[in-house]
Amino acid sequence: MSVVNYGTREITCKIVYYGPGRSGKTTNLQHIYSQLPEERKGKMVSLATETDRTLFFDFLPLDLGTISGFATRFQLYTVPGQVYYAATRKLVLQGVDGVVFVADSQSRQLAENIESLQDLHANLADEGFDPRTVPIVMQYNKRDLPAAEISSIEELDETLNFRDVPFFAGTAITGGGVFETLRSVASLVLSRLSAPATKES
Amino acid sequence: MANESKKEDGPEEEGGEFADFMADISHEIAQRVESLGPKPKPPREEKKKTPAPTDAGLITEWPNVADRMIEEMR
Repeated sequence: MSVVNYGTREITCKIVYYGPGRSGKTTNLQHIYSQLPEERKGKMVSLATETDRTLFFDFLPLDLGTISGFATRFQLYTVPGQVYYAATRKLVLQGVDGVVFVADSQSRQLAENIESLQDLHANLADEGFDPRTVPIVMQYNKRDLPAAEISSIEELDETLNFRDVPFFAGTAITGGGVFETLRSVASLVLSRLSAPATKES
Repeated sequence: MANESKKEDGPEEEGGEFADFMADISHEIAQRVESLGPKPKPPREEKKKTPAPTDAGLITEWPNVADRMIEEMR
C-alpha cells in the first residue's frame, strides 16, 4: 500500500496497466510519455520483441515534483499480455497500489478480456491482495475501430465490470481517454493513502 | 532488448493534458497530506497547585486537594 512518508517527505504510488495482449497498454504509457514536459521526461523503458509486443514490461517513472512539500512519484508499469508470461505479470503486480485494466473492444477479443481479468484477480490474490478492494479502473480501448468490429461500451461493462468500478472509453493510439483513465486511478489510489505507523511518544 | 520510447515528437500542446492532470492531482494530494498529517497535541492542562495551608497550618480547600491526589494517582 502506498504511504505518505512524513520522515522523508515522499509519496510513491505504483500503478499497473493490465489486460490481454495487444489491447493498448504500452500505447497508453507512450501517450502519457509524449505529453510530459521536457523537464519531467525521464526514461521510459520498454522491453519489446521484434514484432513490437511487450516481452517483459514497460516502466515509466512519472516524477510529479514537489507537491505540498512532498516529492511525489507515480511509477507506471505494463504487463506482457500474452498468456505464457504469467510469471512476469505476477512479478510486476508486487506492491501494486492501483490497476488500469485495458480491455480490447473488438468483439472477437471478448474471451481474451475475460481470461485476462480472471488472471488479474488470481494473481492479485496470490500476491496477498484482496482483489475486491484493490483500486481498479477499466478502459475500453480501440473505440476508433469500425462499429461492426467492436462491442458496445454497455456490453463490455456488463461483461467485465462486475465490481462496478469507474470505466472509460479509450482510443489510446490518439490519446483519447488516456489521461482521464490515469486521473481516475490516481484519485482512487490517493484516497487510500495512509500515514505510516508511528510510535507514541 | 531494452528500448527507450520510440516517440520522440513533442506534444501537440506542450504539457497540456499533463498540466491538467497535475492540477487535479496536486489538489488531491494537498488535501490528503493535510488530512493525514500529524495532529498537534492538545495543550496540557496546567497542574493545580497544592493549596497553601493557612497560618494555622490547616488546608481548608479540601476539594482541590482531592483533585490533585486523583491526578497524581493517574
